[in-house]
Amino acid sequence: MMWFNKSSLISVEAQRKRSFLLGLLPALVVLAAITIAPAVYLFMTSLTPLDLTRQEETAGDYSRPWTNYVELGSDQRFHNSVWVQVKLSIFTVLLQLVVGLGVALLLNAPSRFLEAVRTVFLIPMVLPPIVVSIIWKVIYIPDVSPIHRLLEVFGFPIESLITNPKLALWAIAVADTWEWFPFTMLILLAALQMIPDEPLEAARIDGAGSWQLFQHIILPLIRPTIVVAALFRLIDSIKAFPLIYVLTNGGPGMVTEVTNYYAFIEAFNFSYWGYAGAISVLMVAGVFFFSWLINRMAGRSALQET
Amino acid sequence: MSKKPKNQSKSKFTRRQVLKLGAGALAATAATPFGVPTLLGQAKPYAGTEINVSCWSGPYPKMLASYIPEFTEMTGIKVNYETPSFPIYNQRMDLELSTKGSGYDVANITFIYCARWIGAGWFTPLKPYFSDPNKTPSDWEPEDFLEGVVTPHRDTKGTLYGFPWIADAMISASARFDILKKAGFGMPDTFEEMETVLKAVHKKEGVAGFVNENHHGWTWIPYLYGFGGKVFRDPPNDLMPMMDSPEAIEAAEYYGRILREYGPSGVLSFMYDQANQFLKRGRANLITFNHAWLLQLGDPETSKVTKTVNYAMMPAGPAGRFPGVASHAWGIPLASKKKDAAWEFIKWSLSKEILKRLLIEKGYGSITRKSVINTPEFKEKNLVNGVDLAELYLKTIDVAASGYMVYRTIHVYPQIDKQVDKAIEIVTSKQMTAKEAMKQAQENSVRELKRAGVKL
Repeated sequence: MMWFNKSSLISVEAQRKRSFLLGLLPALVVLAAITIAPAVYLFMTSLTPLDLTRQEETAGDYSRPWTNYVELGSDQRFHNSVWVQVKLSIFTVLLQLVVGLGVALLLNAPSRFLEAVRTVFLIPMVLPPIVVSIIWKVIYIPDVSPIHRLLEVFGFPIESLITNPKLALWAIAVADTWEWFPFTMLILLAALQMIPDEPLEAARIDGAGSWQLFQHIILPLIRPTIVVAALFRLIDSIKAFPLIYVLTNGGPGMVTEVTNYYAFIEAFNFSYWGYAGAISVLMVAGVFFFSWLINRMAGRSALQET
Repeated sequence: MSKKPKNQSKSKFTRRQVLKLGAGALAATAATPFGVPTLLGQAKPYAGTEINVSCWSGPYPKMLASYIPEFTEMTGIKVNYETPSFPIYNQRMDLELSTKGSGYDVANITFIYCARWIGAGWFTPLKPYFSDPNKTPSDWEPEDFLEGVVTPHRDTKGTLYGFPWIADAMISASARFDILKKAGFGMPDTFEEMETVLKAVHKKEGVAGFVNENHHGWTWIPYLYGFGGKVFRDPPNDLMPMMDSPEAIEAAEYYGRILREYGPSGVLSFMYDQANQFLKRGRANLITFNHAWLLQLGDPETSKVTKTVNYAMMPAGPAGRFPGVASHAWGIPLASKKKDAAWEFIKWSLSKEILKRLLIEKGYGSITRKSVINTPEFKEKNLVNGVDLAELYLKTIDVAASGYMVYRTIHVYPQIDKQVDKAIEIVTSKQMTAKEAMKQAQENSVRELKRAGVKL
């Protein structure tokens, strides 16, 4: 190594970096074309009052670029949609974590039967979202719903859940949980299976009960995984659309109208693409923020595990 | 002053116009079956052509589906035909048209979108097709269509873009009139009578008193006008919405109350097909809705209430009777690449022969051609359980001739329509008082209209 001086080492390193960059370039170009370019176009559209029924007047009109964003600041319907989104995300993520963890704990045992059951639990997650929506539509329509009929037989008739403003969002959350708890279950089951036997055996020898084992050993060990699963589901919860479209159409009134649904109405019912673009840009910014958070949390979690 | 709308046409068609017989028209049709004589003698000139046709799932487009193989057999044109639900169709078509897509060759011009779609220049003028003797025989008779139903599909210069397949007239029906009779009532003629009847018959024999679809932007407006309210201040010149007027608040309170107190569980989620099924099974009693649907309550193959159904005019409010009358039409999207084949489809599907067969064989009663309306078969098919629906249909069209339906042909009405849907849901589900909900609807309507460039 004596015959290499420092400058030649730097040069080799620079060449190496350049080679990596060249190798990555085609992928970066594709990435830019399919993600960055549409995002830039979306942002540019959001700076115009683009209305497809008045394209000649409104397309490319950058005379008042921040109007849509200023208007969003005073749009109560938009504010309501963000609040509905926050509530729906919290409900669904919490429910999916609790149900997913519960089922994962039940299935965490070496058994062929349980392996088969695991597969069954995955079915809702692999169904097309529209099929899930139709299944729940049938469940929620009092006239045809087996649940409503059963309750009626036992003398406890209940009103339609999806037209009750106090329960409609919960009805969506329950359907969404049914669809997506298998995701959290899978991740948490994998984490449970990674827990070494030694600390559990030692705790048992010391007389720890099941709840103590869970509280003091299992939960701390899988906590980083729970956080990552929660953040993944949080991002995905922002995409809740088919269930709302089919089950409630954002109603009754606006109690289930989440932000992407509001953007959809502005774009596809009224053709206000500039305004819908501004809503979408804010949503993209939110998703970017959560993605960044996931990366950080995932990184920390990896560090803790090592 | 508001921005002048792109289409100022008024919905005016009178019974007199209807009754002007196109004498001999049917005879001429018989001589030129399906109105396509230009094709006779030619060996399927469009063989190998494929067209895409779309319309929302109204009775006519659904009934027409079974005749399409005949059209293909006759012309060689393969038809890819779809009938999605009303909101899905409108969203899909609005996007397709606004992006100048060429995915559809024949599309329905939805009544509430006619000013918007035609005004924006998204449909093809039809005159070069119907006035060209090489493309349309003279006995096809474009003037045979009810002028009032055709008018909304013209632009401000009078250019025609669509031929109507329906005159959608709103009437009232009682699926279980036997229950009303037992309680000592006739068909309610006023809003007040209707509520009295509903109080008396709701849940009798397990039947809900009232049902309707959740497109309140259509079903609630007759109540708004009935209480003396308006959608716009003075359309088409002044488009200031009037959602928070005392009359609108009263109408919202009334309509929300009858849906909430006398409707079946979950009524706010009902679309038109669901509401109609409820009536056909005798699970709900009264409704104020479209003639074309309610006529089906007399169909013995699908309805259980053929012996108990009764009909009447839309009830009147303190300010009068304002039944909704709408018109939907076939048109050719501007970007279609197969316009000649598309016109062949329109010409065939609205020929006197096909409309008459739909009337006789399928019981389709909302006919738009005078020559078919004036046949004995029309009268016969519109006689349900002893009630002359043809008379109700024509009377309703007469009432709408005063021009109040103009609100629906305003290019920004779809924006108001959605606000009405939300407001009535909010009132019905008691999230707000009618006053609060309508104030919110007014604010949102003004915001949406300003966004559309309307000066208020």
